[in-house]
Amino acid sequence: MIRAFTLEWLKLKHYKVFWILFGLYLLAQLIITNGGIFFLEWLQSKEIDIEGIDPTILPIYDFPDIWHNATWLGSFVKILISFIIIVSVNNELSYNTLRQNIIDGISKREFLLSKLSLILFLAGVCTLVLFTSGLIAGFMYSHVTDLKYVFSNMEHLVAYFMQLVVFSLFAFSVAMVIKKAGFAIVLIFLYSMVFEPIITAILEFAPFTKDYTEGIVKFFPIYSIEKLCGKFYESPFARYIFQEIKEGPLWFEWIIPVIWAFIYLTFITWILNKRDLKS
Amino acid sequence: MSVLKINKLTKKFGKLTAVDQLDLTIEEGQVYGILGPNGSGKTTTLGMILEVVAPSSGSFEWFGGVENVAARQKIGAILETPCFYSYLTAVQNLRIVAHIKKCGTSNIDNILKQVNLFERRNDKFKNFSLGMKQRLSLAAALLSDPPVLMLDEPTNGLDPEGIAEVRQLIRDIAAQGKTIIMASHLLDEVQKVCTDFCILRKGVKLHEGSVHEILGETNVVEISSTDLDQLTTTVSKFEGLEKLEKENGSLKAFLKEGQSSDHLNRFCFDQGIALKKLIPQSKSLEQEFLKILKEND
Repeated sequence: MIRAFTLEWLKLKHYKVFWILFGLYLLAQLIITNGGIFFLEWLQSKEIDIEGIDPTILPIYDFPDIWHNATWLGSFVKILISFIIIVSVNNELSYNTLRQNIIDGISKREFLLSKLSLILFLAGVCTLVLFTSGLIAGFMYSHVTDLKYVFSNMEHLVAYFMQLVVFSLFAFSVAMVIKKAGFAIVLIFLYSMVFEPIITAILEFAPFTKDYTEGIVKFFPIYSIEKLCGKFYESPFARYIFQEIKEGPLWFEWIIPVIWAFIYLTFITWILNKRDLKS
Repeated sequence: MSVLKINKLTKKFGKLTAVDQLDLTIEEGQVYGILGPNGSGKTTTLGMILEVVAPSSGSFEWFGGVENVAARQKIGAILETPCFYSYLTAVQNLRIVAHIKKCGTSNIDNILKQVNLFERRNDKFKNFSLGMKQRLSLAAALLSDPPVLMLDEPTNGLDPEGIAEVRQLIRDIAAQGKTIIMASHLLDEVQKVCTDFCILRKGVKLHEGSVHEILGETNVVEISSTDLDQLTTTVSKFEGLEKLEKENGSLKAFLKEGQSSDHLNRFCFDQGIALKKLIPQSKSLEQEFLKILKEND
């Protein structure tokens, strides 16, 4: 795995596009997860209140709620991580360097491992940045700083990491099939942000079919990934109004994305072994 | 030890059989040419033994059974177009190759000097001319000092000077005792650099053998002397003669089995004629190639 990651590192460390995309992603994640206080202050300056309360006293940075809040917000920008994966995989196909690498002396399995190591690295760094920025924001604003609370509900961070990994594997699979990077990006955007959400929303909420189809939506690829940190309409901030929200994924909501991850890996392996790499 | 042993290797693309039951053995130290017209299955064969094209059936074995990935690390391959990361410099690209081939990076500067790219080592690949790109892929192939070099149409797209350089390089490398496998559709090229060769047509191996053997001398000797008529009458009496033809101011003597040019020369000398010209004619690969193709029609 170290050899595989070193190979990937040699390819990326001098690649400007990669650093720009990765920097943008981290910045977007930082802004969306930690910018809440500025939003609340803005609400306050407009003299908007929430159910009669001054918005800035909402405990959005309180431990351990901050982990749920931040990971839910962070999921909104995960599409950016798929761009990095697509660009990286697409380069190997369009420059024909996947073929060249194999001729020079790696196996197809090692190629898969090198990309997997990149995915784990990116997801790891993103989760670590989210954890660090969460700690800093928490210690600045949280009303509770008892370590027992600071480090509880850590499963949200595991769910966030898993979400990024499985989503990246989805992007990897798409990039192996669609050889035009731009088209692959558009396709992933449309599918994950438009098509699947509409389809699953109909299946889940349409009054006539709902009773029969509600049960199958949890198996959809993007739906199951998003369920890890909560769907966009499952805002953890609802707790400040209704007092009651769903905390963390249920057992099958952990399992389904793992199954998808295996499906993606199997699919990529199959494609790598089946396809002839011609120049 | 055989460097490569191919056993009934077959590749089908739908209904088309690109390579058909190919058997091939390449020994250490050979400069082996795979000769055939375009579309005869040369590149597909190379693709299969490098594991970028999946065989339909059959097998192959490197270095008497070394695992394929490890074997490829000991092969320097130059196939058609050079493939590198366009956003990386020459040195950065070679570092990736060194990492894959597990050969260390200390040789990079030397190799770049050898292929005349040292001055441009920190330029990005995308800014290279075609010739420079080809030289970089040569550098990548030689980087790990591999015992086997594989080339696909090595002189394709090069100017005459480049062609001469590459051929000299192949001879130099072969002189170090390395094994070279090359695919070419140029008869002349195979004749000039290879020790052994095979001929492929439509994926079928038509012939295999050593270049030297097939290019041996013929039984035809071209002779002339000051007085051609006198020579004609004299040589006609030569017992070892089968046929005599007149051509462009000289004679073509077809000799019987077991007779050679020195017999003829001695005979003429004994008859008091000094030969002005005595050229035993050797075969050309082109004639043999056409002959083999015809035999197999």
